[in-house]
Amino acid sequence: MRKWFARLALLGVAVLVAGQGQAAQAAEPAAGKKIVRIGATQSMDSMNPFLAVRLVSSAIQREMYSFLTTPDPKTLKPSPDLAESWTTSPDGLTWTFKIRSTKWSDGQPVTAEDAAWTFNKVMTDDAAKTANGPAVENFESVTANGQDLVIKTKAPQASMLENPIPIMPKHVWEKVTDIAKYEADVYPAVGSGPYIAVEQKKDQYVKLKANPDYWRGRPKVDELQFIFYDNPQAAIAGLKKGDIDLIGRMTPPDFESIKGDPNIEQWNTQGRRAAYLEVNPGATTTDNKPVGDGHPALKDPKVRTALHYAIDKQKLADEVQSGLAKPADGSIIPPLYKEFFWEATGDQKVTYDVAKANKILDDAGYKKGADGVRTMPDGKRKLEFRFSIHTDTPIEDKLAEYLTGFFKEIGVTLTTVKLDSSKFSEQTGVTGLYDIAISGWSVNPDPEEVLATHLCSRRPTPSGEGGGTESFYCDPTFEKLYQEQLKELDRAKRVEIIKKMQERLYTDAPVIAIYYPNDLEGYRKDRITSITPVPEDKGLIYGGSSGYPFYAMDVKATGGTSAAGSDGGSNTGLIAGVVGGVVVIGLVAFLLTRRRKSVADERE
Amino acid sequence: MTTPLEAAEPAVQAAGSGDDRPAYRGTLKYALSKVGGALFSIAMVIVGTFFVFRLLPGDPVRNLAQGRNMTPTQLALERHRLGLDKSLIDQFFDFVGKTLHFDLGTSYEYNRPVLSLIGERFPATLLLAGGGLVIAVGLGIWQGQRAGWQRGSRFDQVSTGVSLVLWSMPTFWLGLLLLMVFGVGIGPIPGIFPTRGIESVDAPDGFAYVLDVGMHMVLPCLTLVAVVYAQYLLVMRSSLLEEVSQDYVNVARAKGLRDDQVRRRHAVPNALLPTVTLVFMRIGFVVGGAVTVETIYSWPGLGQLFYEAVRVPDFTLMQGTFMLITVAVILMNTLADVVYHIIDPRVRSA
Repeated sequence: MRKWFARLALLGVAVLVAGQGQAAQAAEPAAGKKIVRIGATQSMDSMNPFLAVRLVSSAIQREMYSFLTTPDPKTLKPSPDLAESWTTSPDGLTWTFKIRSTKWSDGQPVTAEDAAWTFNKVMTDDAAKTANGPAVENFESVTANGQDLVIKTKAPQASMLENPIPIMPKHVWEKVTDIAKYEADVYPAVGSGPYIAVEQKKDQYVKLKANPDYWRGRPKVDELQFIFYDNPQAAIAGLKKGDIDLIGRMTPPDFESIKGDPNIEQWNTQGRRAAYLEVNPGATTTDNKPVGDGHPALKDPKVRTALHYAIDKQKLADEVQSGLAKPADGSIIPPLYKEFFWEATGDQKVTYDVAKANKILDDAGYKKGADGVRTMPDGKRKLEFRFSIHTDTPIEDKLAEYLTGFFKEIGVTLTTVKLDSSKFSEQTGVTGLYDIAISGWSVNPDPEEVLATHLCSRRPTPSGEGGGTESFYCDPTFEKLYQEQLKELDRAKRVEIIKKMQERLYTDAPVIAIYYPNDLEGYRKDRITSITPVPEDKGLIYGGSSGYPFYAMDVKATGGTSAAGSDGGSNTGLIAGVVGGVVVIGLVAFLLTRRRKSVADERE
Repeated sequence: MTTPLEAAEPAVQAAGSGDDRPAYRGTLKYALSKVGGALFSIAMVIVGTFFVFRLLPGDPVRNLAQGRNMTPTQLALERHRLGLDKSLIDQFFDFVGKTLHFDLGTSYEYNRPVLSLIGERFPATLLLAGGGLVIAVGLGIWQGQRAGWQRGSRFDQVSTGVSLVLWSMPTFWLGLLLLMVFGVGIGPIPGIFPTRGIESVDAPDGFAYVLDVGMHMVLPCLTLVAVVYAQYLLVMRSSLLEEVSQDYVNVARAKGLRDDQVRRRHAVPNALLPTVTLVFMRIGFVVGGAVTVETIYSWPGLGQLFYEAVRVPDFTLMQGTFMLITVAVILMNTLADVVYHIIDPRVRSA
C-alpha cells in the first residue's frame, strides 16, 4: 500500500510540474491581444435577456446589445443608441424613433422591425415579461415602418427615454418557440452592442470579442471576460494576483484590504446608491386600512423630524462607512445624478442638533419620564422604537449602535431587531411590523422608479400582496407631483418637479436619508491604461447604467509589453519546478529510509 | 450440462455442512429487508422534503424580483408560472407525481429543469469530493493503522496530533489561508495555483487541459482532505488498537510471522470493518459536495448550487438537490449494511 502511495504522489508531482510548463505554453497564442478580465461575485443567471434579472447579467447585456437610448457617457442625459433621433406627438402619447442604419453582428441590417418585435414579445408573452415586464406596462401598441418605430402609450410617460429592454434581432429570436425554456446558449450570439459573446462556461465565465461593426466603432479592447467568483475574498485574491483586472461594487472593508498594493488602483467615487431609514408613518394597505404594529408616535411628522435632527450623519459616514460615503443633505437621489439631485439649504436643512430635537419633542408634548425616556402626550406609551436590520451585516450592526446612542440623547429608546432578508422585506414592505428600518436604493439615471416606491399604490393590497413600497408613504402632495412629472416632457420643468418631490420626502420624513455610499472599485493599473467612467466626472466603471466604460477602456496587450504577465509565468514555472524537484527528492529519501526500515522489520 | 450439477450441489451440501445454505438465504433476506427499509426512508424523505422546505421564511417570487418593481398582476403571473398559486396539498401531489416520474421540476431561479442543472454540476462535484474522499480515506487508513500499531510512538503522536489540529480548523478559514499563501503568494512563496474555478478561461486542449484542471484541483482538494482525513485516521487507529491485544494476533505472532505480516494480513483486515461503514456513508455525502470548499474556490459543483437555492428560496431546486443527497446517503448506507454482512461473517451469525 505504501509503495502505491509513493508512486501516486510522485506521478502527481511530476505531472503538475510538467503542467506548469505546458500551461505557460498554452497561454502563448493569446499573446499580443488586449484582454480585460472583470471579476464578478455573482454569476450569470441566464443568457436570455428576456429572463435574466441579476445585475451582472444586465452588465453583460449592455455589452452585447443596444437599446433605444443610452445615458450620455458625459452627462447621463438620454442620448441616441439604436434610435438616432426621436419625436413626440403634442399629446405626449405617440413616440416615433428613427432606428439607426447599422448591422447585427451576423451582417443582417438592423431595422425598426427588430425593435417592434422585441417590445411586442414582452407585451404579449408572459414568460418574456420576467426581466423587464413593467417597462412596457404603459405601452398601447408598438409598430414598425421602415426605420421608424412608433410607440403609442396609454398615458404620457416622460421616462420613455430610459427603456431598459435590449433590442433583439428578430430574425434570430422569432424562431424561439418557448421563451421560458430558451437558454440562448448559441455562440457567437447575434447582437448590436460593442462586444459579441463568443463563449460561456456556466457559472465560470463569459467571453466576449470586440464587435468590428459596432456603430460607435470597434472597441480598443479585443476581448472582454467576465469571470465569476463565489466569494469576495477570493475575487480580491484574484485581483492581487493578477488573475483579473477589475472588481466593482466593493464593500468598505474589502476596499481597505486592497490598499497599498503597488499594482492596484483604488477607485473611490460617488455612488448611485442612497442609504436611508424607513420611519413607519402609520402603515396602511391600498384600501387605507391600518396594517402592522408601527409605533403611533411615528405618525407625527414632528417626531420624525426630531429623529432627523438627532442623527449625526457626518459621524455615521466617517465611522460606520469608514469615510467612504457622503453624509446626506438631500433625499433618496444621490448627488451622482447632478441634474436631479436636490439638496436642502437654509432653514430647511436639518443639521445635527440635539437641543433642537429635544425642543421639538418638548413642544409637541412628549414629556420625559423619571427614567429619561419620553412618553406619548397622553402618557400611555413610551417612545421605545424597534430598529430592524438584516442579519450578518456588520455595517448595519454598527449603524444600529450609533443610532441607539443618538436617540438616547433625546429620550428615545431604540432596540435592534435582526431579520433575515426575506423576513425583513416581508415585515418592512408587506405586513408593516416595524418602527424604523434600514434600507437603500440604487438609483437609475432616470429616478422615476425610486420615486414610485413611495406612492400610495405601492402599498400592499388588502389580501396581503406586497406592491414594493419603501415607506408605506401615501401623501396627496407627493402623488400629485408624481403624476405631473409623468406628463412633463419638458426636461427642465420635469427636473423641477422631481426636486420638489425630494423636498417633500425630506421635510415630511417618511424616509430619512443618512448617507450616499461611495462607488468602490479596484483595478490593476499595471494592465488597464485608460479608464472612462460614466458620468465622466467621478462616475462608475462597473455596475452603472451604461456599458460605455468597458467600450472605452484600454489595456496593455498580453505578452510582449506586459512584463508582469509573461515574466511572472516563467518565474512561477521555474519556482514550481524547483519546489517540485525538492518534493520529489524528499519523497525518494523518505521512501528509501522507510524501505530500509521495513526490510529490517522483516529480518527480525 | 451444469444445471443438474448445480441443482445437486446444495443437496449434498445441506447433508454435509448444514449451515451454509441458510446463511446464503439469510443474506438475501437480509439484503431485501434492508432495501425495503431504504425505500421506506426514501418515501419519507420525499414527503419530508416538500413540507420542511415550505417552512423556510421568505417569498420566492418577491426575492426573485431582486428589488425590481413588479405590479401585483405581475406577481400573480409569476406565482402562477411557478405553480405557487395552487393550494399546498395540490402542490404536494403535483410534486410527488412528478418525482415518481423522475421529474424534479423546473428551478425558479434558473428557469431550467432541476435534473439538468444537477447533471451539469455533478461531474465537478464528483471530481473534487470524490477525489478528496479517495485521498482522505487512503491517507487516513494508512496513517491510522500505522499509528494504531505503534501506539505512543512518535509517528502516532505526530500524525494523530496533526490530523486533529487540521480537523478542528474551520474549513472556510483554512481554505482562504491556503488561497492567500499558495494562490496569491506571500513573501518568497509564489502563488502558483489558480484562485478560482475548475479550469482556466483560455483552457488548453487535450492533455494540457487535464493538467490545467489538476492545477485548479490542488488547493480545494487539499482543503477538503485536510479537514476530514482525521476521522478515517481515528476510526482506523482505534479499531486497530482493539485488534492488537486479540488472541488471534498473538497466535499469528506465535506462529513466527513477522510483525509487518501480522499487521497487514491479520490485524488490518479485521480492523477495516468500521472504516468501511464510514467510507460508504461518506460516499453518499460526496453527492452533496463540499459547500464551503466549493464556495471558497468558486468550484462549479452541487454544493454551491444548493447554497444558492437556499438563499432564494428556490423550492424545486432545493428539493431536487436535497433529495439527491439524502437518497444517495440512504442508498450508500444500505449498501454498507449489505457489504458489511458479506465481508464480516460475525454479523451474519449475530
